[in-house]
Amino acid sequence: MIIEALLAFTFAAALFTFAVPNKYAGKTAFALSLVPIAGSLYMWSAFESGGNALTGGDIAFETVIPWLELAGIQVQWFVGVDGISLPLVVLTTFLTTLSIVSAWTPIDDRQSQFYGLMLFMEANLLGVFTALDFFLWFIFWEAVLVPMYFLIGVWGGPRRKYAAIKFFVYTNIASLAMFIGFMALVFGLGPSTFGLPEITQALANDQLSAWFGLAPETLKLIAFLALFVGFAVKVPVVPVHTWLPDAHVEAPTPVSIMLAGVLLKMGTYALLRFNFTMLPDQASLLAIPIAIVAVVSVIYGAMLALAQTDLKRIVAYSSVSSMGYVILGLIAFTEFGVGGATFQMVAHGLISGLMFMSVGVIYNATHTRIVSDMSGMADRMPVAVGILVAGAFAYMGLPLMAGFAGEFFIFAGSFDSTLLPYAPIFTALAMFGIVIVAGYLLLAMQRTLFGPFRLETDYEITPAPMHEIAPMAVLLLAIIALGVAPEVFLEMIFDAVGPILDNGGGL
Amino acid sequence: MAFEYVPAIVLLPFLSFVIALFAGKYLPKGGALAGIAATAGSLLLSIWAFLTVRSQGAYQETIYTWASGFGEQPWELTFGVLIDPLSAMMLVIVTLIATLVHVFSLGYMNDEGETGLPRYYAGLGLFTASMLGFVVADNLLMAFMFFELVGLCSYLLIGFWFREDGPPSAAKKAFLVTRFGDYFFLIGVVAVFSTFGTAAFVGAESFPVLAEEAVAGDVTVNTFGFDPTTWFTIVGLLVLGGVVGKSAQFPLHTWLPDAMEGPTPVSALIHAATMVAAGVYLVARMYGFYAVSPTALAIIAFIGGFTALFAATMGVVKREIKQVLAYSTISQYGYMMLALGAGGYVAATFHLMTHAFFKALLFLGAGSVIIAMHHNENMWDMGGLKDKMPVTYWTFLAGSLALAGIFPFSGFWSKDEVLYEALIHGLGGSPLLLGAYAMGLLAVPVTAFYTFRMVYLTFHGEPRTDTARNPEPVRWNVKFPLSVLGVLAVVAGLVNMVPVQKVLGLEGIDYLHQWLDQSFDPLTAHHYAEVSPYSSGYIGGEATTVLVGAAVSLGLALAGLLLATYLYNVAEPTEHTAKLGAIKDVLYNNYYQDEFQVWIANRTQSVASVADTFDQGVIDGVVNGVSSVSLFSGSRVRRIQTGVVTNYAALLTLGLTALLLAFGLLGGWFL
Amino acid sequence: MVPAQYYLLLSAAVFCIGLFGVLTRDNALYFLMSVELMLNAANINFVAFSLFWGNLTGQTFALFVIALAAAEVAIGIGIILVLYRNFGSVSVTDAATMRW
Repeated sequence: MIIEALLAFTFAAALFTFAVPNKYAGKTAFALSLVPIAGSLYMWSAFESGGNALTGGDIAFETVIPWLELAGIQVQWFVGVDGISLPLVVLTTFLTTLSIVSAWTPIDDRQSQFYGLMLFMEANLLGVFTALDFFLWFIFWEAVLVPMYFLIGVWGGPRRKYAAIKFFVYTNIASLAMFIGFMALVFGLGPSTFGLPEITQALANDQLSAWFGLAPETLKLIAFLALFVGFAVKVPVVPVHTWLPDAHVEAPTPVSIMLAGVLLKMGTYALLRFNFTMLPDQASLLAIPIAIVAVVSVIYGAMLALAQTDLKRIVAYSSVSSMGYVILGLIAFTEFGVGGATFQMVAHGLISGLMFMSVGVIYNATHTRIVSDMSGMADRMPVAVGILVAGAFAYMGLPLMAGFAGEFFIFAGSFDSTLLPYAPIFTALAMFGIVIVAGYLLLAMQRTLFGPFRLETDYEITPAPMHEIAPMAVLLLAIIALGVAPEVFLEMIFDAVGPILDNGGGL
Repeated sequence: MAFEYVPAIVLLPFLSFVIALFAGKYLPKGGALAGIAATAGSLLLSIWAFLTVRSQGAYQETIYTWASGFGEQPWELTFGVLIDPLSAMMLVIVTLIATLVHVFSLGYMNDEGETGLPRYYAGLGLFTASMLGFVVADNLLMAFMFFELVGLCSYLLIGFWFREDGPPSAAKKAFLVTRFGDYFFLIGVVAVFSTFGTAAFVGAESFPVLAEEAVAGDVTVNTFGFDPTTWFTIVGLLVLGGVVGKSAQFPLHTWLPDAMEGPTPVSALIHAATMVAAGVYLVARMYGFYAVSPTALAIIAFIGGFTALFAATMGVVKREIKQVLAYSTISQYGYMMLALGAGGYVAATFHLMTHAFFKALLFLGAGSVIIAMHHNENMWDMGGLKDKMPVTYWTFLAGSLALAGIFPFSGFWSKDEVLYEALIHGLGGSPLLLGAYAMGLLAVPVTAFYTFRMVYLTFHGEPRTDTARNPEPVRWNVKFPLSVLGVLAVVAGLVNMVPVQKVLGLEGIDYLHQWLDQSFDPLTAHHYAEVSPYSSGYIGGEATTVLVGAAVSLGLALAGLLLATYLYNVAEPTEHTAKLGAIKDVLYNNYYQDEFQVWIANRTQSVASVADTFDQGVIDGVVNGVSSVSLFSGSRVRRIQTGVVTNYAALLTLGLTALLLAFGLLGGWFL
Repeated sequence: MVPAQYYLLLSAAVFCIGLFGVLTRDNALYFLMSVELMLNAANINFVAFSLFWGNLTGQTFALFVIALAAAEVAIGIGIILVLYRNFGSVSVTDAATMRW
């Protein structure tokens, strides 16, 4: 019941925040968003890992209630978590609260709607990570787009409409491809419910029959491709990444935090849940193309980041690069590869959140994000810059910070992969990303933060206020804590990843 | 007993980092005292651990499981401590120099009225903690992690004066160049895990042992389709990438001279004595793994020999005192690499130790001179400081004699052993090693020359500026570290007088050899000598070879020293480098290595811009193209909506008729 | 009894007259009348089939249609009045300002 309570509370909080006067909306939303954190932490403490939810393991906090019937297939209210989704639930609740706090300064218009939409998005994200029925999941998946569209389109920068529409249409078309692909599988299987565990196990037991004149194997391949394309846009991977920088640049900082921190993880989470858990044989068939996509995302994304002059674009492209690692870890199909990819989702969520937050804090003070406009910011905002530097090093994969843990697990796992041919070469190529990431982040930091202070403004640049520093500090602490003790999440992740590997064990 | 406190050796400086960072503002001396107390505490604990190793032997314990896999043979990624003679010795060196540098910083930073001291001491504390963590690491992954952390501290401390333009740029370069090396190192770590399933340095299941057994064919490991020796060579060279970066070997040495932008105590601690030694230490730590690969060893030796000579030539023309020292550091680490590659595990360790003492001494001496000169580092503005700062002069001279390799200072013994190992193993049938030896030997007179050029320009002759005539006095906190290190620079060579032993036939004065044999079984110097692929050859007998080798290197060193004396030990020295003509420009510009790397960086930037244009133009162009096409076709199709009801009705009617016709034709109504 | 096809022919003829009016006239009042004709063509069918099947459903529907036609005329004339006020004519071709 805890999940229902969590979702219901968050939806109610969103509604309540809509009704609160603008002046109090920020603080109210912050206070309300603490409850989901408490809930997710309770879930985390009470969680006992027991395998993967989809492959027949224990599902924690499970609820199954028949809902309605479509084309002879039962749609259920089916929620629950396992070791893969729980870390993401915790990530979502934490990042939402922190991004709400970070919105206090930049959002000075229609606050109640803004915070209401943030909470509404949180509720839907929690739904995405907990729903285990395809229809239910799909509703949440699509519903996330709506608040995001408005958050970019209303509170965004000068080209906000372009960015919002591009984001919405791009991801929506991708969802369509994904939906068609999955429905093809469903009609081929003819299951009794839309429950993901049932569908996964039916697929694993070779219950797929020919449908629409397509042999089961062809059907699976088509479904895999459609799902992959659908989720790849969300991740995003090269070449379907171009909505991301536009969305990030136009979105207000708190929205960027959610976008990079949680929304991108929906894509990789879904890839893991659908493509790699349900259709491992097809993944192995397409291992090389997927690995190429991953490596190209890593290197190409990093090269693009190197060419940017806007701090937000730099971080946005570096997300493309980082998510390439996740794809590489998934396709490796080893314990450390898939487990590390899941860990990296959380780690990158925290780190990119911190980076966007830092850029936002600097933007709040300087009203610019262009590298060449700034110099010597460290002189005026020492604490904020200190945390930004720490965050940048976390992004570069400094050991004992979460980013290194995720990346190392992925590299170790993918180097060792038996499923992916030429795994060492792909791994070594992708690893070159850690050099380029150091290059562009160090270059940007040198130009903006260090050197003599030089920024011509008609207002004074003062150190960031406490409520801007505090969420950054919390994130940094979380990053270090996860980097020192990755077992906090890794144990449950591995526990849930193991059955997936066994599922595709014939490989 | 002592070993239970080993984690405290690492944690104490970390504590001082935390204190300095968060409370440094409110503490007297900006957190320096916490740092001194912490490093001194670590020093005492290290000495205790050292003595315990002596009495009880080596010690290894896994302390913390960072991450562990599942399955039948899960990977265990752990943190543990390995205290054996090598690491115990390194612990003492690092903590000693860290303590002295903290004390020296009181004079160099606090007394000079620097701002941002908490940040400085926090950086030093974190560095010391990371370095000690690296030293005690019992597996390759942990070593890598702390290896990266010392890189971070190096970045932070080089860029300490971030309000100027130079230091941040130098810091960036240092981190980036070493990161490039660490990229290969990380592949190496991952490859070690994939190959052996463990990265432990010690134990029956450690990777050097498994490698040895795999080459012998006793066990099989996943060598990715290669012959074991070939694969181990590849992995070894990958790890070597990190070593080359961190120990500033050719071609990744370019960051070190720039790193001199940092405060001088930092240069002494990080960029001379400890962090730069991390690379060499790492090779020594996993020497058993390199020993199975003759190719890797040969490459190490060659890189080392070449770097020793290459860097020494650049030191000859530099004008700034710290630049000379920077190039000499690169050159000296080249010697250590040469020793490692030539099978001289003990020689490399020996030189690592003596060099740590005398190079830290030289840097701190330079720091003292820089204080006196009001932060002017140009040697041509100095001169005649000998009488005004006697403590600095005499200790600096001791360090210089050690660096130049003059008998009986410490550097002579260690450098001689390095060259001796290269010589006998070269004569034993490895002509490549002889080439490396020749380069190392050639570097000897060059080293002596630039060292004494530096001494003469700084301390001898007439003062050439007003500052040099009235230098600022330095206090006890500068003189004390100098004196301690000065004594060590003179006597440290006595711990390993192998030549004396061999020539006079005295037994048991090669203490370092004996000491390094007290480790766990496969980590002993003795074992490394056995598995090393080299055999020894001699000129005449062993004693003759020792004498000839020592005489040649000492003679060359003296020749260099005398040339420097002749040219620069005059009242009004002039720049003789002009006589070198075009060569001088090449040397002064570091063989245009920096330009080459800047060129590479710029080319990368250009590629990035092209990629950006491609991304914006082509990839995003396609996306926008799709939307444009939709918009355009939409704008055309909507013309159907004329707004005239009659037209709609006509369309309706036509549509109905068409539908009826179609159904009729398909349904066969008209047949 | 008159065969069903006569009714059908009649209703088709009435419908076509109505359709012709809709397609050719541009006066909105003619439109209303033409639509009325078409509705009544449908009514004829309803009533005819009602008689044919001996079932009252068709007649019920015819009554519905008559009521609907009355309502439609009321609203339609209202719209035509507004049209006249805004465009100064009751021609349907003038009211094309909201296209595109």
